[in-house]
Amino acid sequence: MDELEGQPDQLISFHIVVDGDDHATVSINGELDMSGIDPLAARVDEVLGNGVTKLTVDVGGVRFADSSAIALWVRWASSVDEFELRDPPPLLRRVIEAMGLAEKLGAAA
Amino acid sequence: MSSVESVQRPPATSRGGKAAQPVGAITASRTRSRHVYWLPLATLIIGLLVTGALVLVSQSQYESNQKHLLNLRVRDAAALLGESLPATAVTMSAAVEQANFTNGSIPRFQRLVAPAVGTRPNQFESLSLWKVGALDQGPLVVVGSPPKLNAVPARASAILAAASRSPTLDVVGLLQAPNPRIGYAYANPTESGGYIVYAERPLPANRRSSLQSTNQFAGLDYAIYLGTKQTPQALLVTDRARLPLPSPSDTQTVPFGNTHLTLVMAPRVSLAGALPKNLPWIITVLGAFLSIAAAFMTLRLTQRRRGAEELAGRLEVTAEENQRLYAEQRGIAQTLQHALLPDRLPQIPGIQASARYEAGEEGVEIGGDWYDLIELDGRRLLLVVGDVSGHGLRAATTMAELRYAIRAYAAQGDDPAEILTKISKLVDVSESGQLATVLCAGVDMEARQLSITSAGHLPPLLLSNGDSRYLEADVGLPIGVQEGTVYRSTTVTVPPEATVVAFTDGLVETRGDSLDRRLEQLRAAAPSHDQGLPELLGSLVSEMTNGRSQDDIAIVGVRWTS
Repeated sequence: MDELEGQPDQLISFHIVVDGDDHATVSINGELDMSGIDPLAARVDEVLGNGVTKLTVDVGGVRFADSSAIALWVRWASSVDEFELRDPPPLLRRVIEAMGLAEKLGAAA
Repeated sequence: MSSVESVQRPPATSRGGKAAQPVGAITASRTRSRHVYWLPLATLIIGLLVTGALVLVSQSQYESNQKHLLNLRVRDAAALLGESLPATAVTMSAAVEQANFTNGSIPRFQRLVAPAVGTRPNQFESLSLWKVGALDQGPLVVVGSPPKLNAVPARASAILAAASRSPTLDVVGLLQAPNPRIGYAYANPTESGGYIVYAERPLPANRRSSLQSTNQFAGLDYAIYLGTKQTPQALLVTDRARLPLPSPSDTQTVPFGNTHLTLVMAPRVSLAGALPKNLPWIITVLGAFLSIAAAFMTLRLTQRRRGAEELAGRLEVTAEENQRLYAEQRGIAQTLQHALLPDRLPQIPGIQASARYEAGEEGVEIGGDWYDLIELDGRRLLLVVGDVSGHGLRAATTMAELRYAIRAYAAQGDDPAEILTKISKLVDVSESGQLATVLCAGVDMEARQLSITSAGHLPPLLLSNGDSRYLEADVGLPIGVQEGTVYRSTTVTVPPEATVVAFTDGLVETRGDSLDRRLEQLRAAAPSHDQGLPELLGSLVSEMTNGRSQDDIAIVGVRWTS
């Protein structure tokens, strides 16, 4: 029962800054996978529901992201007017490229 | 020929075997619980034994102390008793001296002894003067009542004759009822014979006399005997109705004239005070109370410990149950997964096909990975590998939807690019939060051509003549990003007896490593396995995951056999 000892929530940390009427910056650190994205998704949905139309997601501190996390970013990208995935580490950028999502996520090399 | 590598079934969970163990544990703890009363009982018994020992010690200490104190008191009393005789002798010796000096003057004798005769304590009942040598003739004079001694004159003269020969006070017991008396005879022998003074003093009625409460010996019963024998006839006085005195008693013999007095005393109360006497009782009550309290506490502790053990046992059972449920859920997920995947692959001459599905190590949920191999006509196949993001029933239902949609579009003759465009309508990340990467490759067996179309999926690997490379193709958006996405196919021709392997990203799990390094690792590993296709797929999976895959893996391969 080792998986009970791992605290998936603690592998990820994030904070959201709404800077301006319509712009927010989400900074994410750690390993982002299906087990940990629900709190993040809920908080960002809240922000998006409050009139934010420009979203910057700083993933400079993301060590790993699975397809669920990438799907989350794609969903955000689809629901705002301007979207930027800032500072994706090379490993992450390569995964995004392999999925054909570099342009969609504004993370072209 | 083609073959199907069956999906690895979850190991059969041995429910019976695992269930038996917790039951055994419960039985064992119940057996232990029967012993729960032993320890408190032992505590009680030991406590009572210790209490009993203390009671015995304190009782024996009390008794020895009582005896010692009694002995001291009886010695004191005996000393006082011994001193009473000289006081008696003073009057009598004075009378003897006067009689000798006055040659037996009766008036002077009467005047001298009158104050000493009466009924008050310490007074004589009878005092008489006798002449030595004329004892047969009775007393010269009697003050008070007639001497009882003289009831038998011969005996009286014999006793007084004996008394006249010694300078001490002779004591005579006249103890026959009624009116028992004690007689004293005193003489001071001279050459001319001289005189004897004889006195009698009454004993108390029934020889009973209680000490006054202020007396220093008030706490003691006593009996005084004349002589050294404690017989009823020799009894002078006692405060008790019944004799002998109860144990413990102490006896002292004191010289009394020409005989002795025997003093026997027994304490009515504790001579050392109330505490030593009551100490054994106090110890009994306190010891019993403490023993019971200790036994009770031991019982509580034992019960608590048993409770903790039972709780631990239950937790153990719960953990076992969780383990079983986990295994069962994992088994269900894998069974369902298996049901959603092709149960057989098409058999097409000239092509060998194989596929594997490996559930992630920790996954109790069904995954969204799939593979498919669809026979289009006698010479063409559609090879599909896909991966819906996330896990669980939602991912699995989307996967099933996409898989059957692809089969349907393929059946109506759409090419891979058209199929992906059409299924792009089926998923919307904005609504479901899901994406799917799909690789669709049309395989022309005779032309050895692959028409590869990728919706965000990793490229397939080509193995040929001991070499390997990825079949890079144009990568379009994953399914779910944008409805109506147009996909482009990339057509490649492969060498004879080539092998093409398509897979999902679980095979090149990138947690902690780069995707490019992992893809290169896979590519480099592939040619070293000169194996049949099913074995090759198994080897690649185990080599890339070291037998521990975190994510689900779908892998499918086709090999031209001629």
